[in-house]
Amino acid sequence: MSDILFNVGYGHFLVLAAVLFLIGTAGVMIRRNALIILMSVELMLNAANMTLLTFARMWGDLSGHTFALIVIAVAAAEAAVGLAIVVAVFRGRRNVDVDRLTTLRH
Amino acid sequence: MKVLLLILTMLLTLGAIDAIAPQLAVADPIPAQAVNKGRTTTKVVKRSPHSDKIESNGKGMALLFWAFAAATIGGALFVVTRRNLIAAVMGMVGCFLGISAVYMMLYASFLAVIQMLVYAGAIMVLFVFVVMILNRPEDEPVAPTGRAGKALGGLAIVYLVGRLIFMLMKVQPPNPLTAINAPAAVELPGDTVGTIERVDWGSVKAVGWDLFGPGLFVFEAISLLLLIAVVGAIAIARPLHEDQDNQSEPFHPPRDEAAEAAAAAAAAASSGGHA
Repeated sequence: MSDILFNVGYGHFLVLAAVLFLIGTAGVMIRRNALIILMSVELMLNAANMTLLTFARMWGDLSGHTFALIVIAVAAAEAAVGLAIVVAVFRGRRNVDVDRLTTLRH
Repeated sequence: MKVLLLILTMLLTLGAIDAIAPQLAVADPIPAQAVNKGRTTTKVVKRSPHSDKIESNGKGMALLFWAFAAATIGGALFVVTRRNLIAAVMGMVGCFLGISAVYMMLYASFLAVIQMLVYAGAIMVLFVFVVMILNRPEDEPVAPTGRAGKALGGLAIVYLVGRLIFMLMKVQPPNPLTAINAPAAVELPGDTVGTIERVDWGSVKAVGWDLFGPGLFVFEAISLLLLIAVVGAIAIARPLHEDQDNQSEPFHPPRDEAAEAAAAAAAAASSGGHA
């Protein structure tokens, strides 16, 4: 037990990333506000980044850092476009509840 | 009051990062002989700036890890559970500060700074602006699924958590002893031919050599992607017509019941007249 508590290793970082990813997944599944869903997606991307950095550290390979940097750039682009879509949806409907966006259903 | 607490928490986090940062960015110095074998002209021109070999293991560092992991998880839970959007964004910022500190513990100092700048700085400001536009708390934040749906979703999440933790805890590192010790310095070509420069693992220079070497094409592709995203965001968020903003809620004139009754009476009268 004290080994797990006081001897922080790769597994700790990986489990932290997994828990973060699962919280993000739960947010995407449970919440109805499109903004919160976007933030949960960002959480999942961050969890993946943490895993990348942990494995880069584990194998002594710096390309994991490059990959994480690129993931951050893609996340920024995704946030910009996603928020633009949220604003456009809000302009037409006055709410961003994803359960009420049923125009494309059927 | 809550805002003050949040700001206090963020300041404490920043202070803690500041306190541990100098102990973390450390490279393991390699004896110069190890570099010299094979090539006689090779010489090391610069030692790593931090050669005091402080390692991030021990109980204090473990406690810091748990503290920042708690900040990360707590912030993430805050995002998922809060009804107030601003509170969710602030939880997100706290989560990102914790993640940044965890990156420092992984010796990814450049990525930690980028995380702070890009996420906690830029992306969260974008979110706050959109929250300002929307500024409307949800009526019912959680999707109303039945009891069966909730039980099924909860079971699925618990299974995923257990499975992931079980798998990740079994990951075998190539060299367990280096688990949290300072990583070896990265060797790069020096300024003049035939020399080798050692820089810290995860530093700007080391990441830059990888980014602009093998990752050059991806880097250029990312610049194109960002350009497309900026143009696309403007194209999507712009109103289709100049006056669309004013017409977004269609104008329904209030019903004039007296006039309707009169019209109905007139219609009845006219039809009755014809009959």
